[in-house]
Amino acid sequence: MSIASTIQRSQVDLQDFVDWSGVECLNQNSGHSLINALKQGYRDDDGLHLESDADEQLLIYIPFTQVVKLHSILFVGPEEEGPRTVKLFANKEHMGFSNVNDYLPSDSAILSEENLKGKPIVLKYVKFQNVRSLTIFVEDNQGSAETSKVQKIILYGTTVETTNVKDLKKIEEH
Amino acid sequence: MVLESTMICIDNSEWMRNGDYSPSRFQAQADAVNLICGAKTQVTGEEHVGILTMAGKGVRVLVTPTTDLGKIWVACTVKFHPIFRGYYFLCSLFHFSGLEIGGEMNITAGIQVAQLALKHRQNKKQQQRIIVFAGSPVTYDKKALEAIGRKLKKNSVALDVVDFGDEEDGKAEKLDALIASVNNNESSHIVHVPAGTDALSDHTNFHWDGEGGSGFTAAAAAAGGMSGFDFGVDPNLDPELALALRISMEEERARQEAAAKKATEDASKQETDGKQASSSRDVGMAEAVSSSHNDLDKKDDQMDDETSLLQQAVAMSMDKLAPVPSSSMVIADADMSDAVDQDLALALQMSIEDSAKDSSTDTEVNKVLGDQSLMSSILASLPGVNPDDPSVKELLGSLQRQSELLQPQDKENEDESGKKEEKQ
Repeated sequence: MSIASTIQRSQVDLQDFVDWSGVECLNQNSGHSLINALKQGYRDDDGLHLESDADEQLLIYIPFTQVVKLHSILFVGPEEEGPRTVKLFANKEHMGFSNVNDYLPSDSAILSEENLKGKPIVLKYVKFQNVRSLTIFVEDNQGSAETSKVQKIILYGTTVETTNVKDLKKIEEH
Repeated sequence: MVLESTMICIDNSEWMRNGDYSPSRFQAQADAVNLICGAKTQVTGEEHVGILTMAGKGVRVLVTPTTDLGKIWVACTVKFHPIFRGYYFLCSLFHFSGLEIGGEMNITAGIQVAQLALKHRQNKKQQQRIIVFAGSPVTYDKKALEAIGRKLKKNSVALDVVDFGDEEDGKAEKLDALIASVNNNESSHIVHVPAGTDALSDHTNFHWDGEGGSGFTAAAAAAGGMSGFDFGVDPNLDPELALALRISMEEERARQEAAAKKATEDASKQETDGKQASSSRDVGMAEAVSSSHNDLDKKDDQMDDETSLLQQAVAMSMDKLAPVPSSSMVIADADMSDAVDQDLALALQMSIEDSAKDSSTDTEVNKVLGDQSLMSSILASLPGVNPDDPSVKELLGSLQRQSELLQPQDKENEDESGKKEEKQ
């Protein structure tokens, strides 16, 4: 069973559960905002991407409309400016660049070229069982470029309260 | 309307003793601060404002962001009497919070502390803004300031700088560079206020023109262009009244600008607004009327006293220094027939000459004067002028050629209102 099909079976794209009114991104270039990378339709458009502004770091805050479990995350970005070191924080509200290093990330990952092409990063599932909001800190990028660019961010997981029973049954079969 | 949390950084260094802004730099600064705080807290009750001082013994936060105007006023006006060194800070909060003048301004530390104070604001959803009054020389170099600016931009903090006082050693450039590095979508501004008797507070209001979503569009319309205080000594003696008058005037102006763009569908509204505004001004001060004429010029020309206003407006646009006693508006009717002939001719003359001028007063004057039907109705109501007089017709004709702005509707509406006046 390849990883991709596991995702398809048990995990859904959490895009539907994102609380768009609370989505924030610090240090984004106003012409290239987070919506370009996160939202359906925008993220599939290759012309639109998220870009950082003053320097190469980005702090993305994504609240959800309900509690979710996060399984994996997928980034698509260019070779040079795509993100490299990424730290994820669950349920930390309103972080800033100054205190992002004060907290231990729930998980962190160093993205490889493969990841940037669309291979999802499987996360420490146990750390993301009860996620109300997710903060993604992009610390640097692949090529140490001035700004970081992200074309797509997809979050895979399941919801806690409204678990689709049909999906559950399928998992149990395995 | 975006809610904002603002920290105001006051310069209370030795340089503030200078008297080149009346009454003293420090006082002018305090007035401007009071005005800002008043405007922010009164428009919505939700905007938070805090104050810190940058000089003195070090950067000190006097008031953390709050909607309580009283706290802020106490902090700005009461002189400081330190009783116990140990209770320095406590005393300042409760009774003796005040501003001592002395020391040197530390702009970078001030901004950093302001950023910290904003970070710990109660309502995290509010946008962050820092307003810096820079009245003394800036000792830091451009690079340091730019680094600070970038950090502010990264944390999406907007910055406004009021540059006044000594102009030295590239201070203006340094501050411009600072704003350039912070600026994101025109949310940060800088205004340079040259020395003179102009109130600092007027210029401070002026630089809010570009501030998007700040929530007080009423107060934000340009108050610049007025010399001295708007309403006599209001801001010193009675800040609330000054603010109320200013807001009503700005609202009036905003409405008039909207009306000027649409045609005269708004004309009837304008008349009632103009009358209300004029009554509030009659309560007040002489100088208020001079500025009110700038407003009224724009669209209230259908009113009874319009021609005398036109005359004054034209004189105004020439030298901007004609304080007219408020009673003139009341007895305008009586004056009109006497003064109007020569003044009308003069006004027509000037509008022909000045049609290329940029000032909106003139274009508006042109608009009205060029409206033939309106002019003929006015002239018809005057005892000495015969509208069929060839010389008058000629003048009107030449005016009409210039004013291509009017739509046919204008003429009809103005015609009707002109006729109404005649009956009155």
